[in-house]
Amino acid sequence: MSMHGVPRGITNPPPPIAPAAAAEAEVTHAGAQTPGTLVLVFVFLAAFALYYFVNWKLLSFIWRIG
Amino acid sequence: MNTFRTCPVTGLKVHAQADGLIKANAVVATVALLVGGIAAILVLLTRWQVVHLLPANWFYRLLTIHGMTMLIFFILFFEMAILYFASAVLLNSRVATPRLGWASFWLMVVGAVMVEWNMFAGKADVLFTSYVPLKANSWYYLGVILFAVGALLVVCIFFGTLVVAKREKTYTGSVPLVTFGAATAAIIAVITLGHGAAIYIPTYLWSLGLIKSVDAELYRLVWWGLGHSSQQINVAAMVSVWYLLGALTIGSVVLNEKVSRSAFVLYVLFISMASAHHLLVDPGFGPAWKVWNTSYAMYLAVLASMVHGFTVPAGLELGQRLRGLTKGLFEWLRKAPWDDPAFSSMIFSIIIFGFVGGITGVTFGTEQINIIAHNTLRVPGHFHATVVAGTALAFMGLTYYVIPLIFRKQVAFWPLAKIQPYLFAGGMLLFSVAMTFAGTFGVPRRHYDISFSQAPFDVEFSPAVDLVMAITAIGGLLAAVGGGIYILVTVWSVFFGKPLELGGKRV
Repeated sequence: MSMHGVPRGITNPPPPIAPAAAAEAEVTHAGAQTPGTLVLVFVFLAAFALYYFVNWKLLSFIWRIG
Repeated sequence: MNTFRTCPVTGLKVHAQADGLIKANAVVATVALLVGGIAAILVLLTRWQVVHLLPANWFYRLLTIHGMTMLIFFILFFEMAILYFASAVLLNSRVATPRLGWASFWLMVVGAVMVEWNMFAGKADVLFTSYVPLKANSWYYLGVILFAVGALLVVCIFFGTLVVAKREKTYTGSVPLVTFGAATAAIIAVITLGHGAAIYIPTYLWSLGLIKSVDAELYRLVWWGLGHSSQQINVAAMVSVWYLLGALTIGSVVLNEKVSRSAFVLYVLFISMASAHHLLVDPGFGPAWKVWNTSYAMYLAVLASMVHGFTVPAGLELGQRLRGLTKGLFEWLRKAPWDDPAFSSMIFSIIIFGFVGGITGVTFGTEQINIIAHNTLRVPGHFHATVVAGTALAFMGLTYYVIPLIFRKQVAFWPLAKIQPYLFAGGMLLFSVAMTFAGTFGVPRRHYDISFSQAPFDVEFSPAVDLVMAITAIGGLLAAVGGGIYILVTVWSVFFGKPLELGGKRV
């Protein structure tokens, strides 16, 4: 049920997690359970490495040695 | 005095005084957002060289007003509301000393009004940092001190409420993670306000003529213990809000309580040292001090943000997967409630804070790179991504739950509310990235006229600067529309909104 002017989390709160699913999650490694987030983490890492490298390159242009 | 109501949605017992204090602080925060937002538009239209709206004196005046009103008054009033929520409401407790809470609130209001009055009257054109020997009217410094004392008292009331809740056994086990995060924000607030007292009290005495001078270098050192650390209160509060919104919107789970709590502790231990990165090109400080504070200690605070940057989305993913959304890598994200403005606000806040604010911040926290970024538009490009698109957007998302749960009103202009986070986040993303590019071309920050007209020397920027400054302006105006919608929605909902009804019953 969705209601005008009230967020879904109030009118239609998330259903409770089935105990069997919760018990399985307890024994599985977190990384294996969240593959989508792991992909996002590697995208972040690539973006960070690229930006960091570009900045050092830029520094080498602006502050030339010799 | 100690009357409670039970929230029909969450089942939490809400103390009437906590209810009132949250409402009062949230309303004043919105007023501050309006004032700071108008100043932002005028500053933006002046920096956009094609429009160049204001004369120089009003540009610097409004830049001062924008900085103080947004970074201090809007954010801190909202955070005071969060502290009452995270202590009294989440722990089913009464507020420790409600009368002192109201006295602190009014002290903060009086301080803020004094500061605003002096800034608008042109008696404090000293910018946000108010670096000495720039001198403002002594009432300005007194206003800042009163505001800070009020905020410090609220932090004490927060700790007092934790003690009351523990003693009166209003909860079992450990405090919730959100309360724990708010407690770290409160601890950082004590450190921050201590620095504020250490520097603003002598500066106030100096403005009165009671002491001869304030050392400029010492001022910069201590002031940044206030200036940057106050933004770290925001980070801790924002991350707490991410956890809260994740649970409220899609029932996210906490992957590992110990890991998340340890990351909050890292903020307390190391984030104040990150203030040193503001002084990386300051000739008065030695390289060992700079390298220690920024290249080692700061990274431990960065580690904390990276931990939260993983655990929050991973908690969302796991929560969705445990409810059956297991197809492929991103079904959990695709089928998330994107029409819930609180959810979209939270996601955009996480993405922009991490990808734009985080990456740019860590990069020029490096001493060598800082030399090409310092005092350019890259710096405001960075902190608009963290504080505005990160913190302010997360707070906006929280508001869409505060209106029905605390004010017990329906959110007005619901279709507009749903698109508001998209407009605001899209605008701020454009604004921050374009500003960062402009800074890369060497465009200075806090500068009235980058064409340097009537200057005895000639400064030429790349022709690309005109383009990126125009994109900055368009992004800023788009964000201003999003911010305007937020103010319209919240003010209308709170003062003229329909009472909330659930299942045909008025809440």
